[in-house]
Amino acid sequence: MTESEAATSQPQIQIESNQGNPALACYGISKRFKTIQALDNVSLSVPRGSIFGFLGPNGAGKSTLIRVVAGLIAADEGNFDVLGTSSLSGHRVRRDMSALVDRADFYKNLSAYQNMKILGRITGHDSDEHINRLLDLLGLYERRTDKVKTFSQGMKQRLGLAQSLLPDPKLLVLDEPTTGLDPQGMHEIRDFILKIATEQNVTIFLSSHLLHEVELICSDIALIFNGKLAAQGSMQNIFREIDNVTIELEVEDSKATLTFLEKTDLVSQIIPLANAISIEIHYNQIPELIRRMTAEKINIFSVSQRNRLENYFLSLMEGK
Amino acid sequence: MILFKLTQNELYKIFSLIRSYIGFILFTGIVPLILWGYGMGTSHIEGQIESSVSDMFFIEGSPTNGFTAAYFIMNFFWIHIPFLLALVGGDIFAGEHANGTFRVYATRPISRLSIFTSKVFATFIYTFIFVFYFGLLTLGLGLIWHGGGDMLVFHNGVLILESSDALARFFIAYFFSFMNMVLVSSIAIFFSTMVRNAVGPVIGTMALFIFILMVSSLPLEVFEGIQPYLFTTYFSNWEQAFYDPIPWDDLFRGLGLVLSNVIMFLGIALIIFRRKDILS
Repeated sequence: MTESEAATSQPQIQIESNQGNPALACYGISKRFKTIQALDNVSLSVPRGSIFGFLGPNGAGKSTLIRVVAGLIAADEGNFDVLGTSSLSGHRVRRDMSALVDRADFYKNLSAYQNMKILGRITGHDSDEHINRLLDLLGLYERRTDKVKTFSQGMKQRLGLAQSLLPDPKLLVLDEPTTGLDPQGMHEIRDFILKIATEQNVTIFLSSHLLHEVELICSDIALIFNGKLAAQGSMQNIFREIDNVTIELEVEDSKATLTFLEKTDLVSQIIPLANAISIEIHYNQIPELIRRMTAEKINIFSVSQRNRLENYFLSLMEGK
Repeated sequence: MILFKLTQNELYKIFSLIRSYIGFILFTGIVPLILWGYGMGTSHIEGQIESSVSDMFFIEGSPTNGFTAAYFIMNFFWIHIPFLLALVGGDIFAGEHANGTFRVYATRPISRLSIFTSKVFATFIYTFIFVFYFGLLTLGLGLIWHGGGDMLVFHNGVLILESSDALARFFIAYFFSFMNMVLVSSIAIFFSTMVRNAVGPVIGTMALFIFILMVSSLPLEVFEGIQPYLFTTYFSNWEQAFYDPIPWDDLFRGLGLVLSNVIMFLGIALIIFRRKDILS
């Protein structure tokens, strides 16, 4: 499939973004496993320098697309470019990219350093200095001579990230990198992803079904349902598309606030919570509500918007 | 260059596994034991030899030595070595699938053909080292323990090989045995590309080996027609290196069949591996 043909098969909701000169561009990729259409004519574009969140429920086709890009499975139709190199040129397409698919796995009888050495040797990035620098970056230098079988899942995931950085990639593909980690491990990996993106100047293509995680670190997203791309664009543009949002108000006098909210015409749903009040409101009406509450002398401690991406995600799913 | 690096990696991985040393440890223990036992039973063996040739020769000195000991051991071990080689060849692809490391390896900018070729090279190098070690241990230790001298071979009568000739014939025998073992490793590689755990290929290799060995060695008329086409028919062809004259035509015919089987098994394995979707 050519780029022009692929353009005709774009998702229903196309949100404008900085799509020029993409790090990864997929053109009409399809993949079928027996009776299941895992990917159906998927085209997307990952802007350079972005942290791109690839979202979808379990079984939507996220991992399948990532496996196609990583070279683990072959697409039935379509192709993709990585930093201008076409997948039609074979394995060379992965020259400037690296992938950590699913959870990180290792030669468990070898040390962290030896595991790095084995992979580094393939692309000629196996100098002691380079390996030690990456192990240091991911906080594993002190444990470099320990066998991987003694590592926690979080450490393994960090070692997987270190391995994926060995060839100095310009595009890093991560498939659900926080799966199986405890909250602290998730937090660490998120921090490392941000650190890698900024310090190493790497474009990151990240698949996840954890919307909160994506919301925290991604600048651009794409959503996939049942193997079809439903939307893609920058996070900023996507949030502009959202009409009603849910926000939580933390106030001094809940009772008075509830009375006020019930009277106002700005709010469509009010749910008192243990320490806050959850309300549904049009995104553009939030400043007006705050003005009116201030005028009523209601002391507001915080106004937080909850699950913006989740709301968007659910609204798309309901629309399906 | 990339192939050299990949093969280096594969050898590194093979020799980092304890299972790769099982055969070496086994032979290091059992060969000296057999050589000791052979020495203890020398008088009995000498008696048997002398009684069988007394009407033809007068034997001065001992007819048993390091050469006859090595020949004696070779007879036993060519049937057992395949199992030990299958442990490594069977693990070379399936082990990586089981560990999940293939996902990591296959995402690098290298072709599947390069990965496959490097794994095949590494397995064959391991096979060579294994056979070399076996030869070194049996012949080297045998000669040190029981000394050298002329070698008596019983084939269509009695053949006496001079010491230097015997040594050369052992090298020929080891070469053809090595090629047979390359075929065993190829079968293990073939099974290894088909499954995702390392046990299956070992069992599969041995099951196929035993099945074909039985068919090729059964003295039944019904199988005689196919026996020349079964690779196990040629697994004892190393013995022909000690015939006089050496039947080179037979040896190379056998080698041709063994090599064609190697190409067939590796060819199918390559097709399977290149088409394989790595899903988990």
